[in-house]
Amino acid sequence: MRRVGNVLAVVGLTAITGLGVAACGSSNKSSSGSSGTSGGGKTGGSVRIGSAFPDAYDPVMIQTTQANEALQGVYTGLVTYKHVSGAGQNDLIPGLAEAMPTVSSDGKTYTFKLRPGIKYSDGTPVKASDFEHTQQRLHYLGGPFASFTNVIAGMDAFAKAKKPDADISGITSDDATGTITVKLTKADTKFLFAIALVSGAPTPAAKSPYKATNDGTIPGAGPFQIAIQNPTRQFTLTKNPNFSVDGIPAPKVDKITVVKETVPKMTQDIINNKLDFMTEDPAGDDLPLVRAKYADRFRLAPNPPNTYWFFMNETTKPFDKLEARQAVNYAIDSRALARIFGGRLQPTCNFLPPGYAGNGYEKIDPCPYGDPNGPGDIAKAKQLVQQSGDAGMSVTVWGNNKDPRPAITDYLRDLLNQIGFKAKSKILDQQVYFGTVGLAKTKAQIGFTDWFSDFPHPADFFEPNASKAALASSPTFNFQFSSNPAVDAALTKLNPQDPKSVAAEWAKVDKAMIDNADVAVYGNELSTNFFSENIDIDNCNGIGPVYKTDWLQFCLK
Amino acid sequence: MATEPATELTFGDPGVLAAEDARDRVAGLGPWRLALRRLKRNKVALAFGALFVLIVLLCLAAPLYADHVAHTDPFKNHLTDQINVGGKLTDVVAPDGIPIGPTWHGRFFLGADGNGRDIAVRLLYGGRTSLLIGAGAAIGTILLSILLGTIAGYFRGWPDTIVSRSLDILWAFPPLLLGLALGTALALGGLKIGPISIAGDSKLIPILIISVVQVPYMARPLRGQVLALREKEFVEAARSQGASSLQIMFSEILPNLVSTIVVFFPLMVVNAIGLEAALSFLGAGVRPPNPSWGTILGEGISRIVTAPHQTIVPGLMLVLTVLSLNVFGDGVRDAFDPRAKVRVDR
Repeated sequence: MRRVGNVLAVVGLTAITGLGVAACGSSNKSSSGSSGTSGGGKTGGSVRIGSAFPDAYDPVMIQTTQANEALQGVYTGLVTYKHVSGAGQNDLIPGLAEAMPTVSSDGKTYTFKLRPGIKYSDGTPVKASDFEHTQQRLHYLGGPFASFTNVIAGMDAFAKAKKPDADISGITSDDATGTITVKLTKADTKFLFAIALVSGAPTPAAKSPYKATNDGTIPGAGPFQIAIQNPTRQFTLTKNPNFSVDGIPAPKVDKITVVKETVPKMTQDIINNKLDFMTEDPAGDDLPLVRAKYADRFRLAPNPPNTYWFFMNETTKPFDKLEARQAVNYAIDSRALARIFGGRLQPTCNFLPPGYAGNGYEKIDPCPYGDPNGPGDIAKAKQLVQQSGDAGMSVTVWGNNKDPRPAITDYLRDLLNQIGFKAKSKILDQQVYFGTVGLAKTKAQIGFTDWFSDFPHPADFFEPNASKAALASSPTFNFQFSSNPAVDAALTKLNPQDPKSVAAEWAKVDKAMIDNADVAVYGNELSTNFFSENIDIDNCNGIGPVYKTDWLQFCLK
Repeated sequence: MATEPATELTFGDPGVLAAEDARDRVAGLGPWRLALRRLKRNKVALAFGALFVLIVLLCLAAPLYADHVAHTDPFKNHLTDQINVGGKLTDVVAPDGIPIGPTWHGRFFLGADGNGRDIAVRLLYGGRTSLLIGAGAAIGTILLSILLGTIAGYFRGWPDTIVSRSLDILWAFPPLLLGLALGTALALGGLKIGPISIAGDSKLIPILIISVVQVPYMARPLRGQVLALREKEFVEAARSQGASSLQIMFSEILPNLVSTIVVFFPLMVVNAIGLEAALSFLGAGVRPPNPSWGTILGEGISRIVTAPHQTIVPGLMLVLTVLSLNVFGDGVRDAFDPRAKVRVDR
C-alpha cells in the first residue's frame, strides 16, 4: 500500500482542471535543444525535474510516488500500463510479453510469451527465467509490494525455504521458447495488475543480486536507462539504446535530469523556468500564488486515485452502534475539509475514488447522508447520537502530525463535540500513527485515515481496508476492526473476474459500506502538476492515474 | 574595547545612588528591603515588570474575552462561517484555505487560523499555557537544582561526583535537542513512573521536560555556592553545636541561597517560555489542539505571506513577554547584587 504524499498512482481518472495554453517568452531556460515533432509535441531536448527523490532505486524495493514516477520508464513488466495522458493509463497492454497472457478457464494459470530478441539497457538479453528471479528478489528482500504476488503458487514454500534462489513452484520458465507459466493458488485478477508495477518488472539475474541495490546498476528493459550521479542529489534518465517494444512509445525527450531540492526552491525554480516539473505539491503560501498567477501551466488532478475518510472502530463504544456512525456521516461538512486542504479536495461519499468511473463504475448517487458538496446535517446527527444512547460519551480522535492532518483531526474533534460527544484529540507522529491505530489493543475509536491506489483494481481499496482477511494482520489497515459481509462476499465472488466486467457489482459493495456507515468518507485529494513554460503541456503533460505523470510523454514546445 | 568605567543601566545618577546606598546602610536596613529600594529606583526594570504583569492579567482574562467579546472558545472551528466585516459578509476561511486577517472588531480581532479559530482568543489562552509552563518549569528546575546542588555541594565526595557528572552528561546535550527527543518519545505513551502516570498530551509533560533540561544551568552555580557556604563560620558553629546535616542544610545553607534563587527565577521562566515555544513549534511541546504561543506560531508558519498575522502576533507576544521578564529579571539581579551590574560599552 501507499500512503498520501508518498504513494504510487494507479487507478484512473481524467478530471484535469484548468487546461490552458502555456505562456510564451521565458528566460533562464533550463531545457536545451529540440528537433522534430512526433504526434503531439516535439521530440528531443532535455528537461530538469525537481523531486523529493525516490525512497529506493532497486525496483523491488520502491514504495513512493517519487520512485514510481522516476522508474516506471526504466523497468517494464511482462504487461504494463498504457503510456498515455489521462484515464487510458488504467489499461493493461503487453510489455515485454508479445501479447496479453492466455488465462486458463479456471483463472488460475497465466501463460506469457516473451517478445523475441528484446534486451535490457546493458545489452543482456531478456530471459523468461528473469521473471521468477524478480519474484524471488521481491519476496526474499521483503519488498513493500511483495504481498501483491503472494497468490502465486509455491510462495509459502519459498518463504519457508529462506533461500533466495529456492524454487517458486508456481512459476515455470522456458528460456528457449520464452514461455512463462504462472500458477495461482486461486483465481485472482489482481495478479496481472500487480506484475505490471515496477516491482514486477523482470531484471537480469546476473545483474540483480539477492540484496537491495541502490546504485542504479540494475538494468531494466524500459524506454529509459538510469544513471545515478549522487543517490541523494541527482540522477539522469536517458533513452535506452536497446529499447524497441511495439505499443510502448520511446521517450520524447533525450534526457531528464532529476535533482533534489526543497519544495519552496523547486517551486521558485519552476516559476523561473530553471526546472521544468516538480514531483511535489507547492506548499503553504506558494500554492495559492501558483494557482492564481501561473494557472496556464498548473493542473490539479486526483492522482494517484485516493480516498480520505474517518475510520470508526465498530468494536468499541460509541461506534459499535449504527446510529453513532451515521451521525458522523450526517454531520461531516466536506466544504470545511476542502478548506483545510487549501481547496484541493473533491467532496464525495464514495469509498472508491472517481478514477474507477473510467472502468465503468457508477458512483453512489444520491449520497445517503446528503449532498457531499453541501453543509452537514448537525441537527440530524445530534438526534442520532441521542438515539444511540451514548450522548456525552468521551471520544478520542486520532490523527497524525503530517500537514494538514492535525487540522483535519481538530475539525473532527470539534464536530463530535457539536453533535453530542465529549471529544478530545490525540496526535501521533506520522511514522508510528498507522501502526498504532492498527493494533486492536489500542482501541482507537475514531480518526484520520486515507488510501492511495496501488493498482487500478477495486479490491486494492476494499481488501486491505475493509475485509475480514485484513484483520489477520496486526497492525491492520482495517481500522473498523470489523468487516461488512457484503465486502467479504464480493471479494470472493468478484476478485476472479475482470473488474471492468463487474464494475456495477463493485459499486454495490461501495454502497453497502456507505449505507452501513462503516466509514465516514469526505473526499478525494487533488494533487498538483506544475510545469515550466518550456513544456508543451497541452500535448504531452503525461498526467494520469497510474503514473501520476508519465515522463515518457514529456516534450518541449 | 571598553576600558572606561562601566555604567549601571538605571535612570538614577550613580553618585546619588551611591549616596542613597550609604544612607540605607547607616539606617541598618535588611538585605530584602535594601534590594526592594534598589529595585524601586530602577525605573526601566519596573516599567518592564509592569508590562509583564499586564500580559499576565490579559491572559488571565482570556475566558472573559472569549465569552463576552469574541463569542467563541479557543477550540471552536469556524471553517465555513461568514462574518460581517465593514458591512460585507466575509468567509472566515476562504475556499482556498486562506483565513481571514485581523478585523479589529470583537470577533476575529486578530484574524483566524487555518481551522477558522479566533487567533486573539487562542493567543490569550495560549499565553496562559505558555506562562503556566514557564512558571511551572522554572519552579521544577529550582526545586531539582536546590536538591542536587545542595547534596553535591554539602556532602562533596561521591555524591558530588555522581551529581556533577550526571549534570555534565545532561549539559552535553543541547537543551532544544534533548527536549525535542524527550517530547517526541513521551508524546505517544506518556510517562509512567510507579503509581504516577501522566498522559502524553498533558501539559505536565513539557513542564517536566523543560524542568529537567534546565537543571544544569542552575544546579551548578548553586553547588558552587553551597561549597563556599559549608566552610563559613556560622555553619561550623551549627555543626559544633551538634546540628545534623539536614538541619544545617535547611536552617543555615538554604536561607543563604534564597537571593540567588530569586535572581534566577525570572530568568528561568524566560528560558522556559522560550524553550516551550520552540518545542511546541516543532511539535514536541504542547499537544494540539491546546494553544500555546509556540503551537500558534507553528500552525501559521506555512502561511507567513498570505496570513502573516498567524505568526506575527504570537511572535510579538513572545518577544514582549521574554523581553519584559528579562529586563525585570536583570533589575532584580541588580537589586540583590549591585556588584553584578549590566554593563554597556561607551
